[in-house]
Amino acid sequence: MKLKELLMLLKGLRAMTYFRRFLLLFICGITQIFFAAYLLLELFGLNLGFHISNHGYMFIPGVLIFVSSGFLTAAYYLGDKNTNNSLYDEYTAMRYYKLGAFGYALNGIGIFILFSIQDWSNWNFQSANRMIYQIASFAWMIFGILLVWFSLGDYKEYTNG
Amino acid sequence: MVFYLSGSLWGTIKNIQMGKHHKNLLNNLAELRMAKGLTQQELSESAEVSRKSINAIENGVYVPSTVLALKISRTLECSVEDIFNLPGSS
Repeated sequence: MKLKELLMLLKGLRAMTYFRRFLLLFICGITQIFFAAYLLLELFGLNLGFHISNHGYMFIPGVLIFVSSGFLTAAYYLGDKNTNNSLYDEYTAMRYYKLGAFGYALNGIGIFILFSIQDWSNWNFQSANRMIYQIASFAWMIFGILLVWFSLGDYKEYTNG
Repeated sequence: MVFYLSGSLWGTIKNIQMGKHHKNLLNNLAELRMAKGLTQQELSESAEVSRKSINAIENGVYVPSTVLALKISRTLECSVEDIFNLPGSS
């Protein structure tokens, strides 16, 4: 890549907006919800009518999060001060804390329920393995819900609030 | 359904708080800002926050930090007590 093209790319990264942040987080969140819900329903043995045969697809949400995090981090450190003042102010931080606390509580309740519904009388290695996957996919789904919730609320506040 | 219920509960809580004043803090921010001839956007840029933060403070949804309160008072050229007051204080 030529130096000029690299500079153009870095210049583009500087221009983070509320809409771009919304788009990034919303797409990541929705993708995570889809894959996590799919995995959770499969683990409970519910027939969805379709099956993801290529397991490589399960990397999609992770790759999306990785790329989006990199993009947001680059935009933060390369972005101009005024944009960052607006995008990352203390009121937005409060939204993070509130949603984080809510997600923590939801995960706690969910894990408690997942523990409660296990068949402990016939416990074996497969049951333990399945429960670990259930907990992981549930926490993963909650993370996706929080991303979608934050992105929608943040953008709605930006336009109307 | 859980999310619908929690959303509506959260909406109710927000509506209770959505008066002009927060239950722990009274403010004259909107009046002082308009007296200065500033828009929310202009004040937010000067105080180095988002416009929605200024709107949230004006509507009693959010209590600002000490630093933000001082930045706002510096922009409006008045003391913090002119903008914010505790309920019950004279």
